[in-house]
Order: sequence, then structure tokens, then C-alpha cells
Amino acid sequence: MKVLKSLGIDAGSTTLKIVGLDEERQIVFSIVEEPDPKIEEQVDALLREIGTRYDTASAKVVATGYGSNLLRADEKITEISCHARGIYEYFKTGGTAVDIGGQDNKVMLISENGKVIDFMMNDKCASGTGRFLENTAWRLKIPIEKMADLALKSDGEVPISSTCAVFAESEVISQLSRGHKLAHVIKGLHRAMVKRIGGMIYAIGIRPPLMLSGGVAKNRMVVQMIEEETGETVLLPEDPQIIGAYGAAVLGL
Amino acid sequence: MPPIKIPSRKEVIQREKSSGKDVAAIYPIHYPRELFRAFDVHPVEVWGPPGVDTKMGSAHLQSYICSVVQSGLSFYLEGGLKEVKLILVPHCCDSLQGLGSIFKDFVKPGQEVLTLYIPRGITEESVRFLSDEIEKLYKSLARVTGRAPARERLMEEILLEEETDALVKDFYAGRKKTPLSSREFYAIIRAREYLPPRDYARLLQIAPRQSPESGPPGRVGIIVSGLLPEPMEILDVIDEAGGFVVADDLACCMRRVYGKGAAENPFKRMAERIVQGPPDSTKGGSVDEISVSLTGLTEATGARGVIFYNVKFCEPEDFYRPMLKKRLQNKGIKTLTLEADINQPLSQQAITRVRAFIEMLKGEA
Repeated sequence: MKVLKSLGIDAGSTTLKIVGLDEERQIVFSIVEEPDPKIEEQVDALLREIGTRYDTASAKVVATGYGSNLLRADEKITEISCHARGIYEYFKTGGTAVDIGGQDNKVMLISENGKVIDFMMNDKCASGTGRFLENTAWRLKIPIEKMADLALKSDGEVPISSTCAVFAESEVISQLSRGHKLAHVIKGLHRAMVKRIGGMIYAIGIRPPLMLSGGVAKNRMVVQMIEEETGETVLLPEDPQIIGAYGAAVLGL
Repeated sequence: MPPIKIPSRKEVIQREKSSGKDVAAIYPIHYPRELFRAFDVHPVEVWGPPGVDTKMGSAHLQSYICSVVQSGLSFYLEGGLKEVKLILVPHCCDSLQGLGSIFKDFVKPGQEVLTLYIPRGITEESVRFLSDEIEKLYKSLARVTGRAPARERLMEEILLEEETDALVKDFYAGRKKTPLSSREFYAIIRAREYLPPRDYARLLQIAPRQSPESGPPGRVGIIVSGLLPEPMEILDVIDEAGGFVVADDLACCMRRVYGKGAAENPFKRMAERIVQGPPDSTKGGSVDEISVSLTGLTEATGARGVIFYNVKFCEPEDFYRPMLKKRLQNKGIKTLTLEADINQPLSQQAITRVRAFIEMLKGEA
């Protein structure tokens, strides 16, 4: 039975992620699930199941994310520290890390030795977060994973306000009712979201390279637009969604 | 350690009234406490208060007016100031000036509403101007109370306030000796907003102190800058995250620990104390003065970071903050900016940011 040395749990607002590391700091497995309302029971069940497949007796459990307060863990560390460490461990370089999560965005400046130097986080408004796209996708009955495809194929773009994630939804409907093409509106929605993220990146100051994490970084339109807005080439992990849990697991080693 | 019993505002108001004193409601920030006391008027400060339902005040105010003023007006409209004989609204920012105007021109309370214009900058002209303002306030108080305290009485109260200020400075200097949590420490500091000076001095004397002076082991020293630490949950969050508030640059706290005046004229002496007190955005302190003060405070206390805890829409603080952040960062002092509404609980995002900031300062991140 493979021995796990560390388990990182990222109980985010829209997804639950768990990563297990072995003694060579290698990812042995990762899990991404929608969080249940009773997340503590969900995590307990997952950990029991993991325990049947791996030797977790000596594994340190580190929890992060908004749901972490409800979880039993050896240590609880903020998402900012976990994403920064995950990104640093993955790319082995300092720079600017941007985590685009379900309900918040974080921009972190990471030093050459992997320490957080400064960070920013939206704390009043969900505009520019994953929920910004999700709301509209749900309203238009388009699977969230199809949103990027639509935008990437679009030959035009309709400006959408980034003032509010909720108002953007009604603005999208309004633009469609004026006869604008769905793809143009969806692309405009991506732009509004990325403008918001770009504002945070510029507010803290870019220190290349620019690295992305979080579930929304799987959206290729978002990545492309961030490159357009910042003029920087983006470094993207293979699975950006698990970087917070990965960082938590690394911090547990 | 048994908790220190601090009487509530309500208890103090009742006690002062039953001893024959009048009570004045004082809106933020700077004013001469000693002047009111010389008239046997007990000043009780109204910093909001937090937790007020602001719908009544909001009807009179634009949505971008800060929650201190929104609450302050709502509190009056809900009958919160029924016990007071008069109201003072110092002009420390445009919103407070607007509040004074709303009281005088529109709401027209049954009580007398007085105003006090606070000059900008530390100059002789500022002292002269404020001295004249305080003398005008003296005349207004004489009219309202029918009393006219002599110079000796004024000086007696001034000296008592100067002594109290010295005690508060000493209490701050011994912060690392106190086994008090940040919230307990600031509950004591803020009791000055309504306690008579002798009661307050006694409170400082019974506050526990211990050695060594290093503060709680393993904790990161933090300075909080802004108007007021409300909701006070922010102090618990800092402590729980492994921080420790070693000092502050808060308008309701350390920015009002004034030095001694020098003038023989009591009005001028009261003015000197306020004008020459710690630099403050609402007194037009320069960016240089404020950044030097904050840097000095971090060096003196060993603080590792500064949290700018700003009441949303507080223009004086917002105008200064970007430059202050830059100056501090150039000195290697890390900063975090949080926006607060004194009527709202801290958001989970704000709590996460405080925790991440302290993780960053500890070098764990």
C-alpha cells in the first residue's frame, strides 16, 4: 500500500479538492467534487475511502478554503498561502500568481524563495470571479465548459459591464434581446471578467512570470484574454484547479 | 486573571447625571474634553455607535457617506441622545460638517448643537485659529449652561487631561507587558470616550501588567491604522491568527493622546494640545509627518506590519493611504488594507486576508 505523507484539502466555495502527496512530494491522487452542504461529512467519507487505498497513518492533513473551519485537520492555512506555495512548487519560480476561484480572485507576488511578498483579494464583490460566468451560463442553459468554446470561436465582442455579477446576467439577456449574437455577448462577458482581474493584477504590480491557478484558469478564453490584457505569457499548470489543495499538501510536508 | 469590570456608557451617563452634571454627546474626532468638564458637562463620545439600524439616517445622507456618520445621525433619530443636554459636532471631515448642518438646519434637535472647526496643519496660525474656536465654544457653553468657569478652573481641568494623556502614553508604552488580548486592551483604551478622567486613571492603574516586555511569544506585532477598530471582532481575528496589536494609529485612540501645552492662556493651551498632537489626516497632517510617525511607531514597538483598517468612504484616510502604503513599503514595512463598515460584521474574505497577512509576516507562506 502506497504511503501518503501529506493530504491537502481545499474546501472552496464551489468545489472541494483533495490532493495526496508521497514522500517524494509527488502527487499520488487528486479529487475534485462539488461540495455538499455538510462538507465535514463529505470530507470524512472521502478520507475514509482514501484510507482504504493508501497508508495515511503518518499523513499530515492541511485544510484551506472557506469550508476549512468545519474540517478536522492538523493545520489550517489560508488559500492565499496555499495557492502561492502550490504555484511555486509547481513552476519552481517566483513571480505573480493569479488564482481565479469560484467566488474570489487572489493575486499574489511570490519571491524567488517562494514566500508571499504581497497579495490582493476581492472582498466586497464577486464580479470577475468564476461565479460571474457561471451565473450567465446557468441563465442561458449553456454548460459552463462550453462558454470558452463559444467565446473563442466568436468573430465579434459586445461590451458587458463588469460592475456586478448579478447585473451582468440581466445585461446579457438585454444584449441578446437587442439582437446581438450569443457568441459575441459571451466573449464580451469574458472580457468584462478579465478586465476586473487585470485591474487587480495591475494594482499590485506584475512581477513576471504570470502564473494562473484555480478552476477558472481551465477556461482557455480567460487565459488568452489575460495574456492580451497584460502582455505577459501565462504559465498554466496541467490542472490549475487543484493547485490550492496541492499547496496545502506541500505545506504539510 | 479576572476580567476588568469597565462600566458601560449608559451606567456612566446615569451616574454623572444623578451627580448633577449635564451630559454632552460629542461626535468624532478632536475636541477639548477639558473645556466641557470645566463647565461640569460630562462629554460622552458618539463614534457611530456601531450596530445601529441606519435606515433613518440614510434617508438624509448620500450612499457614499461613511457608516460612522450614517450611524451617528440614525442614533439620534432613534432617540439615542435623549439623555444629553447638548451635541458637539467637530468639523473633522466634510461628512461630519454635513452632519452638523443637517442637525442645525433640518433635524433641529431639542438640544443645542454646537460645532467646532478644526484647522489643518501644525502652524502658529492653526493654533491661533483653534484657540479662537475654543473660545467661541466656551461662550456657547456659558450660554447653554449659565456657567462661566474662571481661568483657574479651566487650567485645573487642562492639567488633569494632560496627566491622563501621560498615563495613557505610559499604558501604551507597556503594551507588551500587558497580558491582555488586543480586544481587552482596546476596551480599556476606548473607555476614555466616556469615563471621567479620575475613573479612567484608576482603570489604567488596575489594568494588569507583567514581565517580560516581549509580548506573547511567537506572535507578530501589528499596528492598526484608521479611524476606529469597529467591529472590534477585527482585534480577535488578529489575535487568533497569531498577531498582537502592539500600538495603533487610530483616530479614536492614539491620535488623540495629546502632549502638554505650553501657553498660559487656557484657550491657546487647549488648541496647542490638539494642533500639536499626533499627525492625523483629519487635521491635515502631511504625508511626511504621518509616514514618519507610523515608521517610528513600527520601529519602537517591533511591529512587523501595518493594517490600514479604513471605514469605507472615509475620504481623509483614503486620500493618504496610497502614499503611506508606498512610503512604508519602501521602508520594508508590509501593509494590508481592509475596508470596514461599523454596522456590518467582518466578511469571511476580510478574515482570510488578515490571516494571510499574518502568515505572510511570519514567513510561513
